[in-house]
Amino acid sequence: MLRTALVCSLMASAPGLARAALSDAEMLEVLKTIDVRQRNSGDYKTLVYIEQKERDKSDLLYEAVVYRRDENDQLVILFTKPKAEAGKGYLRIDKSLFLYDPAVGKWERRTERERIGGTSSQRADFDESRLAEEYTPTYVGEEKLGVYTVHHLLLKMKEGADVAYPITHLWVDAATHNVLKRTEMALSGRLMRTVYYPQWNKVWSESKKDSVYYPKEIRVFDEVEKGNRTTVVLREIDLRSLDPNIFTKAWVESRSR
Amino acid sequence: MRGSMSLVLVRTALRNLVAHKAKTSIVGSIIFFGSFLVVFGTALLDSIDRGMSGSITESLAGHLQIYAKDARDKLQLFGGGFMGGDDFGAIRDFKPVREILEALPEVKAVVPLGLQMVTVMGGNEIDQTLEELRQAVKSGDDDKIHSLAVKLRAMADDLLPDLERRRHIARDKAEIENQLRDLARVRSDAFWAELAKDPERGLTFLEAHVAPLVLDGRFLYFRNVATDLTRFPRLFDRFELVDGQMVPPGEPGILLAKRTYETWVKNPVARDLDKIYQGLTTQNLSIATATELADAARRLPRQYRRISFQLAVEDARTVERELRRLLPESTGDLGALLQDFLRVDDDNAVGRYRFFYDVIAPRLPLYTVPVGSDVILRAVTKTGYFKAAKVKVWGTFRFKGLEDSDLAGASNLIDLLTFRELYGIMTDDKQRELQGIRDAVGVKDVAREDAEAALFGGDARPSSADATPGTLGAIDAVAEIAAAKAPAPAVTFTPEEVDNGLTISAAVILKDPSRLHQGLAAVQRAIDAANLNLQVVDWQTAAGIPGQLVTVMRLVLYLAIFIIFLVALVIINNAMLMAMVERIGEIGTMRAIGAQRSLVMWMFIVEILTLGAIAGTAGALAALAVVSWLGHVGIPAPNDQLQFLFSGPRLYPAAGLENLLLGCASVCLVSLGSTLYPARMATRVQPVVAMQAKE
Repeated sequence: MLRTALVCSLMASAPGLARAALSDAEMLEVLKTIDVRQRNSGDYKTLVYIEQKERDKSDLLYEAVVYRRDENDQLVILFTKPKAEAGKGYLRIDKSLFLYDPAVGKWERRTERERIGGTSSQRADFDESRLAEEYTPTYVGEEKLGVYTVHHLLLKMKEGADVAYPITHLWVDAATHNVLKRTEMALSGRLMRTVYYPQWNKVWSESKKDSVYYPKEIRVFDEVEKGNRTTVVLREIDLRSLDPNIFTKAWVESRSR
Repeated sequence: MRGSMSLVLVRTALRNLVAHKAKTSIVGSIIFFGSFLVVFGTALLDSIDRGMSGSITESLAGHLQIYAKDARDKLQLFGGGFMGGDDFGAIRDFKPVREILEALPEVKAVVPLGLQMVTVMGGNEIDQTLEELRQAVKSGDDDKIHSLAVKLRAMADDLLPDLERRRHIARDKAEIENQLRDLARVRSDAFWAELAKDPERGLTFLEAHVAPLVLDGRFLYFRNVATDLTRFPRLFDRFELVDGQMVPPGEPGILLAKRTYETWVKNPVARDLDKIYQGLTTQNLSIATATELADAARRLPRQYRRISFQLAVEDARTVERELRRLLPESTGDLGALLQDFLRVDDDNAVGRYRFFYDVIAPRLPLYTVPVGSDVILRAVTKTGYFKAAKVKVWGTFRFKGLEDSDLAGASNLIDLLTFRELYGIMTDDKQRELQGIRDAVGVKDVAREDAEAALFGGDARPSSADATPGTLGAIDAVAEIAAAKAPAPAVTFTPEEVDNGLTISAAVILKDPSRLHQGLAAVQRAIDAANLNLQVVDWQTAAGIPGQLVTVMRLVLYLAIFIIFLVALVIINNAMLMAMVERIGEIGTMRAIGAQRSLVMWMFIVEILTLGAIAGTAGALAALAVVSWLGHVGIPAPNDQLQFLFSGPRLYPAAGLENLLLGCASVCLVSLGSTLYPARMATRVQPVVAMQAKE
């Protein structure tokens, strides 16, 4: 209740007006809002397009179906295109990420920082948002990002959290509380990736009885290998319940067979 | 008349040489040393050159290498940045290249070579056991399931003390508590009863919660050379099959280099014990003094799980029983016994080595990918996608004489079709397919520097639009995959398929290797005439750093000889000048009684040439004797690089007539050069000056 009130008060404040720095409670509330909006109490299935551009290399293109069950932290990414990649799949079970290659019929354990399909996108880009659970926020300031007024937050990994990057900067639209920009850093402070979320969509979820927000488009820029960039487009989304067997090795193998 | 004059000159020279012993011995020593160095150095380098030529041309490179003219990097078969992924371009279609070059009278054969770095997929020991368990569950093999359950519980028991210790020192105790709970679950009967009822759930739990508790499996990098596996052994004389069999014609497969097999694929415990045993028994080293052996000995006890986690239940009991018999004072479980067993020193190492191979090794999978098994290779293709291929390990091989060389033993041989699959060339069809996918989405590219303006600028879209819910019923990954799936690669192939396709380079074997430059020119003319857009290099250039090493060594030797001869030139010149001054009276007298200037000059020249001939010949003969002796006993190669240069563990040098001639000629030349000035000075001595000096 308190959270709803806080969110309402934050959202009610019009963009462009001078705002005070967010308190710790308010920042936490913003993070929780971001997480809760994206979370579906039921399941989640989406068709994604991933394109990676690298300097001096051919473009990498994929189409994949992502299956998510946030309740159990389960995730499957199953590639459908191009032909040569069809049937490859990632399966996340708790904190383990596995990759299946139908060409050899084998599973392989991958790390949290796995570059999905060799692109700059990572498991976390497709997974449930857990910002409030994984990070402690600090308010940096109110800034302008293009035409948007944004809250700039510095997030530091909580002890024991299983995240790809320990330090993250977040630029949150002050009006809608959608994340618009995110920079991710190594523990040394070295900038690793900059991620933009230029467009958010929401769909009604019967199971949640509320809207579920999702970024329509994600633009990832590799800050280590300058010039490398990945675009992720969530083309369609379906929130109906999924078969529990989907989140098993046997199911992924059977789809690829 | 001329003959008697020559005799007089020689006798005079000999008299002078004897009369001026100090000068003769100094100049003679210099000439002796110079001659020795030239003969010995060039003979040694020629022997190394011959050895290395054999190492390179008979193992991998052939006499010439051809590769793409537009390659970004220079071809380096044995060195350079190959590990880091150099780009040597590609020969898109090998068949016409082979046909054109093999038609040349100079060329014996053209063999395709595809260089490629791959990684080997493989999990840790628990992953491997779980894989076995999955197979046993699939096939309903209850005995196997029971045996593996016992093994996995033993593994959990073994991991427990480590986790308990970590709980006391870890900052994140909650994480360790969770892991301990997971282990407790695996050690309980209830878990295995549940697994029997719902195997998928139990297996998933083990894979996600228990396997990550052990460090990741060994990550192997393989350096593969793809070739025509039928023709390669026939054309490269040093090739020798060691284990297993040749890859049958028309079948995919890999032959692992024996050196790679023993160094990287072998169980690390066995490998370290091998190293210690070899060091103690053949190299007369000791663990107490040799750092390499001491490091191996220090590593061993920590690697006990490389044994305990690999043993089947029954074998583990046998090994435990035998270890208790060997180490009666040791207590504890198998893990503790193994740790005690693996604490080796100079006194017990040989015994432990023998026990390991008698009792433990026969019960272990000694190699990660043993001969006869399938190995899964992974590579990043040229199109950027990851590609994996399963291929059978048919055997191991080595290049004769280069058994212990890491440089020669670093490359495995694989069939060309598997290589091409992992290489993943971008074809027009693939390009069209990707463009089709891109067009369907219609996404615009945004550069990093313009991103914020383009994405959040003036015409930015509202950041939360409503989407139509539930439209994804149509997404059926199964149908998508079925429709998109590429046909599986063929399991066999014809010899034509080997030739019809891509390779990175090709080795050209000449009929007459001694006519290397003529062969190179002929090949270059042929590829230019056929517009093949290729370049040809000799084996020395193609080899990379090792190939250039002899050239560098030769340059260093010639520089040293040049410096020595330069010093010799100055010293001999001074010595002869002093001799001339000492003999001014004699020269004046000779001139006074009618000796021509030329006679005086010849007197000096013959003197130094006589000394050069005597000392130079002595030096050359001494060098010949040393080279012959070394040719008999051999010069040991203390490290891998030298083994490659020496073409084996020892170099047996030999001197040829050319080395002797070069030594004599250079000595004569230097001697002559250093005498010209003093001789010329002597010719200018006037008789009257000589007479005045006498007065």
